[in-house]
Amino acid sequence: MTLTPPSLPASGPTPDPPLTEEDAARARDRARVHHARGHGRHWQLLWLLVGPGILVMLGENDGPSMIAYASDGAQYGLGFFVPLIPVLFAMAYICQEMCMRIGAVTHRGYGGLVLQRYGRAWGWFGAGDLIVTNLITLVAEFVSIRVGLAYFHLGSGVAVALGLALVVFTLSGGRYWRWERIVLGLALFNGLFLLAAVLVRPQPGAVVSSLDFLPLPGGSFNTLLLLLASTVGATVTPWMIFFQQSASADKGMTARDVRHGRYDTAAGAVLAAVFGIGALIAGAALLTHGGSGIQGFAGAGYPEALKQVAGSAAGAVFALGLIEAGAVAILTICASTAYAAGECAGVSRSFNSSPRSAAVFYAANLGAAVLAAVVILIPGAPLLSIVLNANVLATVLLPVSLVFMVMLANDSALMGQWANKRSTNAIGITVIAFIALCGAAYGIDSFLRVVHLIGP
Amino acid sequence: MTTDAGQGAGHGEPDPQEHGDEPVRHLQRGQFVAETSRPVPRAALSARATAGLWALRVFVVLVSLMVIYTFIDQLR
Repeated sequence: MTLTPPSLPASGPTPDPPLTEEDAARARDRARVHHARGHGRHWQLLWLLVGPGILVMLGENDGPSMIAYASDGAQYGLGFFVPLIPVLFAMAYICQEMCMRIGAVTHRGYGGLVLQRYGRAWGWFGAGDLIVTNLITLVAEFVSIRVGLAYFHLGSGVAVALGLALVVFTLSGGRYWRWERIVLGLALFNGLFLLAAVLVRPQPGAVVSSLDFLPLPGGSFNTLLLLLASTVGATVTPWMIFFQQSASADKGMTARDVRHGRYDTAAGAVLAAVFGIGALIAGAALLTHGGSGIQGFAGAGYPEALKQVAGSAAGAVFALGLIEAGAVAILTICASTAYAAGECAGVSRSFNSSPRSAAVFYAANLGAAVLAAVVILIPGAPLLSIVLNANVLATVLLPVSLVFMVMLANDSALMGQWANKRSTNAIGITVIAFIALCGAAYGIDSFLRVVHLIGP
Repeated sequence: MTTDAGQGAGHGEPDPQEHGDEPVRHLQRGQFVAETSRPVPRAALSARATAGLWALRVFVVLVSLMVIYTFIDQLR
């Protein structure tokens, strides 16, 4: 179905819309894209258009995720998880490609579109899910920075100061392009987990032989469900949906950029899977050295344990990786919170706007970070439990967001020829069903055990 | 609705005549803040779709409460 947008007159000349500082900044970025495309500079075009896809995938390789992968490796070894991680990132690609496409075609963020297209109740439900999971995850990110810094004998105060300083610094430019490039530069240090994997000197044969999904993890059924739910939660979460769609729109991507958006998202998925496997391999070094009972968030946790079995270089690199993973995730998760706040409030929501003209956007961005930072400074706060449950809660709440994402991607009035094909829908619905099943199975099974309706 | 998806030619390519040689001519009409500030029209959901969405929402809230209850129980 091809429609003339109702906001435009059916015929006759249309007056130019009034220009804002946000328009002007985005137009400068688009002029460079137009120039590169016009002169056939393919690599420059790719450089200009990559960003949201790599950021969303490496942002999701956050502190709790990398600890979850390392924990999987330390407790169960490489088998099952080495092939599972790429499968999960392939699922993440399916979801994130839709977000990128919707953002590029409609120039609007996820929160705003759901609220306007399907009603305020659904919009605010989605925003509520996002705020809850984002705040919990942000606490986990500050904890992961703290764990990394603890290796270098630095405390919670430094973790809080570092995280907040990064948020303020990246917000200070008033340009999406600047924010994106700084966070991209930081995100590439996610590769430290690959370096950590090399430093623990894994046996290449063991890595290759683990590709057949065997052996399956041992332990109880509930443990397997927890592993699945938390590992799924380590690859697809609600903030990713809000972030990539809004960031694609804020970057100024158009339907013509969808192909490069796919390259960007695929590159992010591949890098994230490789670095995630790096964390898994590094963690598996603890299994072969009999160190399975590591308390990941107690003191310096994994970095200290790695130092014992693989040397100080491996411990230091893993610690630096945790600091990076937490820092990048703080920036991207705060951005997703800010986009959602601006979209739901119906006010300016762009890094291309100044703090004065987008006060809600900037306040939500900084406010989310400050709230999470305050929690980790509370003496005796149950940080370990918060971290372990962050990914699970995100997995449980995710299916509703995914359903609306698929509905938007199928909305031919919005998407025109860029609406989902039948095959994309089939894969997307399978992914949603798998995620819903993992989250629900763990939630229900754990609850029934806690209330003693089924045995331990 | 301000999406460029339905604008046809060139997938909503910018109209270079609108703003002369200014960089702003590289923006599509639907990208302007003035356009994105306008709400898109409400979609008509069938009763079945609405019921399905509410069922999913209630289910997700129930499972979330179970996860939170388990979390609190683990703290004790």
